[in-house]
Amino acid sequence: MQTRSIKTKELSALLDQLRAAGVEIIAPARAPGVGRAVVYRRVSGFSDIIMGVQPRGTLKEHFLPASERILGWRRGGAHLELLEASTDCAPRIVLGAFPCDAAALEVVDAVMGWDYRDEFWFNRRQATIVVSIACDGGDESCFCHAVGLSPGSTRGADLMFVPVDGGFQVEVTTGRGQAWLEEHQEYFSEAGDSTQAVAFQERATTRSSQRPRPHMESIGRWLKNNFQHDYWDQLALRCHGCGACTMVCPTCHCFDLVDEPEGPEGGSRRRNWDTCQAATFTLHASGHNPRPGQGARYRQRILHKFSIYPARFHELLCTGCGRCSRVCSSGMDMLELLGEIHDMASITEPTTSPEARNEP
Amino acid sequence: MKELQDLARRLLLEGRVDIVIGYQQGPRGVRPSFVTRPEQADALIFDERCVHNLVTYLSPRRAHLAAWPRRAVVVKGCDTRAVAVLLRESHIDREDIVLIGLRCGGVHRSAEASGPLTAESVAFRCADCSIREPELVDHLLGDPRPAPPGNSRLAERIGQLESMSHEQRREFWNNEFSRCIRCHACRQVCPMCYCERCIADKTRPRWIESSAHLRGNTAWNMIRAMHLAGRCVGCGECGRACPVGIPLGLLNRKLAMVVDEHFDYRATDDPEVPGPLGSFRSDDAEEFIV
Amino acid sequence: MNIYQPTLMRIESVCDETPDTRTLRLVFKDPAMAERFSFKAGQFGEYSVLGHGESTLCIASSPTRTGYIECTFKKVGKLTSALHQLGPDDLIGFRGPYGNHFPLDKMHGANLLFIAGGIGLAPVRCVIWNVLDQRDRFGNISILYGARSVSDLVYKKELAQWAGMPHLRLWQTVDPGGETADWTGLVGFVPTVLQQVAPSSDDTFAVICGPPIMIRFTLPVLQSLGFPPERIYTTLENRMKCGLGKCGRCNIGSVYVCKDGPVFNAAQLQDLPPDM
Repeated sequence: MQTRSIKTKELSALLDQLRAAGVEIIAPARAPGVGRAVVYRRVSGFSDIIMGVQPRGTLKEHFLPASERILGWRRGGAHLELLEASTDCAPRIVLGAFPCDAAALEVVDAVMGWDYRDEFWFNRRQATIVVSIACDGGDESCFCHAVGLSPGSTRGADLMFVPVDGGFQVEVTTGRGQAWLEEHQEYFSEAGDSTQAVAFQERATTRSSQRPRPHMESIGRWLKNNFQHDYWDQLALRCHGCGACTMVCPTCHCFDLVDEPEGPEGGSRRRNWDTCQAATFTLHASGHNPRPGQGARYRQRILHKFSIYPARFHELLCTGCGRCSRVCSSGMDMLELLGEIHDMASITEPTTSPEARNEP
Repeated sequence: MKELQDLARRLLLEGRVDIVIGYQQGPRGVRPSFVTRPEQADALIFDERCVHNLVTYLSPRRAHLAAWPRRAVVVKGCDTRAVAVLLRESHIDREDIVLIGLRCGGVHRSAEASGPLTAESVAFRCADCSIREPELVDHLLGDPRPAPPGNSRLAERIGQLESMSHEQRREFWNNEFSRCIRCHACRQVCPMCYCERCIADKTRPRWIESSAHLRGNTAWNMIRAMHLAGRCVGCGECGRACPVGIPLGLLNRKLAMVVDEHFDYRATDDPEVPGPLGSFRSDDAEEFIV
Repeated sequence: MNIYQPTLMRIESVCDETPDTRTLRLVFKDPAMAERFSFKAGQFGEYSVLGHGESTLCIASSPTRTGYIECTFKKVGKLTSALHQLGPDDLIGFRGPYGNHFPLDKMHGANLLFIAGGIGLAPVRCVIWNVLDQRDRFGNISILYGARSVSDLVYKKELAQWAGMPHLRLWQTVDPGGETADWTGLVGFVPTVLQQVAPSSDDTFAVICGPPIMIRFTLPVLQSLGFPPERIYTTLENRMKCGLGKCGRCNIGSVYVCKDGPVFNAAQLQDLPPDM
């Protein structure tokens, strides 16, 4: 599609205009509070935005919040009234999504739209223009290349900005992105020379593709055949079962539904993030737990990402963002784990050699 | 390093223990290591990046470690205070565990840190730790270490909190707790959070709302802090594990100061010292009893 | 209306099956909803007591009996305890029907063997009445029902009705020690009794539901009687929340029990990893 460019000053003015028009702007910025970590949050203007640092939290919380009200009720004597929760979403723009985070939205679309359409998710999706910024290649925990993406992947983004001196080159990737760009075309200019943008993307791709690239297909087959393997319990020794990895994962979407009374007359039903790493996730009311140990629970997380989701939705439930490895306080590492499974798979699959995972 | 590896190998070879829990180099900095075969002992290391409190793996809640009942664990001086609480509260038997103590001159805040310890990089808890040589151990290894670089950041932060008005403090903590996503990672890594069924998981009745809203988040974080009063050893693992960066160490430290003030108790590596809330003294503060 | 929005149902009547097991007959509060609603044997719903949450229960009445649905539950958890507190005219929330169903079309003309243990009779009862209401479409019907003790037998009135029906064989059994002085049925565990009564597998489908341990030991007996795995149907009970394939709780391998199930045949079960 079409390529344009935008100067930083123009982008800043565009954001001001959008904000004045009532559009919510979500971008990487420092969280309030002691830690001051970079997260995706609502910002008031360009000066809030921090670029080039992968946010600690993911974009998913703006589409599937950590906790949201999905139903209310009111009671009075024998009377009971159900109050429908609104699924409406005002127009928004995400500016500066990392490509792995933008792609994750499209990955999760598959389950959210499976037969029953989750309107909370899709109304937010429809109300939101996603503008990603090409990644510079990430750090040693990133592995987007292994899961079929790249630092310049445009999946899930309506437009992608590539950093150049004084602004960005703009790649339009969807019809929606095109329409949005045309609506605000006075802020954009001709693309001009693309040398810088191409060089940025090449540098990023080189950095990213030098990391190990385990073969996801053979890993998927190994997972299917090795449900009961000593590896899982060994692996889980280190794991605290804290579930932080699932919380910061852009594709983990499992949730709990809880009722919360708010006084004697009413209350709310809420949808809350949940984690397969907690024993309570599968605990039956009878006390029976099909996944009683951390090994079984860790296996479920890996299976869901690299075997179950692919079998069901024909894609991996992972975009290689590496947050799970970065957040883990006990040093569990996804890329290492995938490499180990790759190596175990290579024993039974002659086409997969241990060396193959390091080939670019 | 060699002395640690040799000891681990010997303990396994002689059948004294089933597993040695120590530290190893991981893809991102240092991480816990689980050595079950003598030949794996070469992976063990110890340096200023060994921030983790491995005593948490002794907690009875770790059902998946039950297959290795006789455990040796590498501990720093500060970690032995956690062992002392588990002993005091009768959750482990001293005979079941082998403690490998390492002389320690402080650790970094992050297991991924590099370079020498500085006042900037040193973990908060090292500021007032004087246990260079752990005592509650079966083996003491390593060269004598100097005291860690002093830092007063935690004290300064607590000072700032104390100087705030009630409303300002509430706003401060509301701001922090509002980010909580209720993953309970703080609980999962805590060596003192050994309850088989945590109050946060109880649903009949639901004591603490599980939703990540300020009401539920405040209830959870305050109740956890209260459950740790007089028990927290200040290892800071909760704050390190928190994926949204809530300064839980600050809260626990403040509570430890309150406990000290009222009950003259500080976290100790002596398991014989009774816990302040599990013992009675005639001069206990009781001004809160109406 | 979003997919998580329940509709209100009124409790029309309550039937105590055992001291802790109860059947509720429910009617939609909104007549238009009652008009629209239909389901198939084996499907389930999410029932809620507002303020206490939702619980997954099969629809225990037959789709041939319209105007109401029934659910049977044992008081074990938070929701079922709250449900147990309710009585006639109280309102509850309902979402459904969800999941797949027993393939009754495939069973037309064949003989049917129903095997159930304890409260596992609830989903089987739905199929039994469905079949009995279309009696001429099916061959011989046999029912083997067991419970821990006489007082744990559910649907006692219906068991008496079935016992008196022509062309229907009913074996009732209780676990050893669970019998009373006036018990006239059999004594023994379901798999053992099944082996003893040895029903024919000729042109027969088996529908089985009960505690996991009963299913585990009954499946081999069925196979030894000549039932091919493709003709043995059961319904799985996994912990669920949404019932819609979203919340990620009921996975067993690549199967989402709420969407691909809850009804599976034994051949499909054999392909699942042991994660139950």
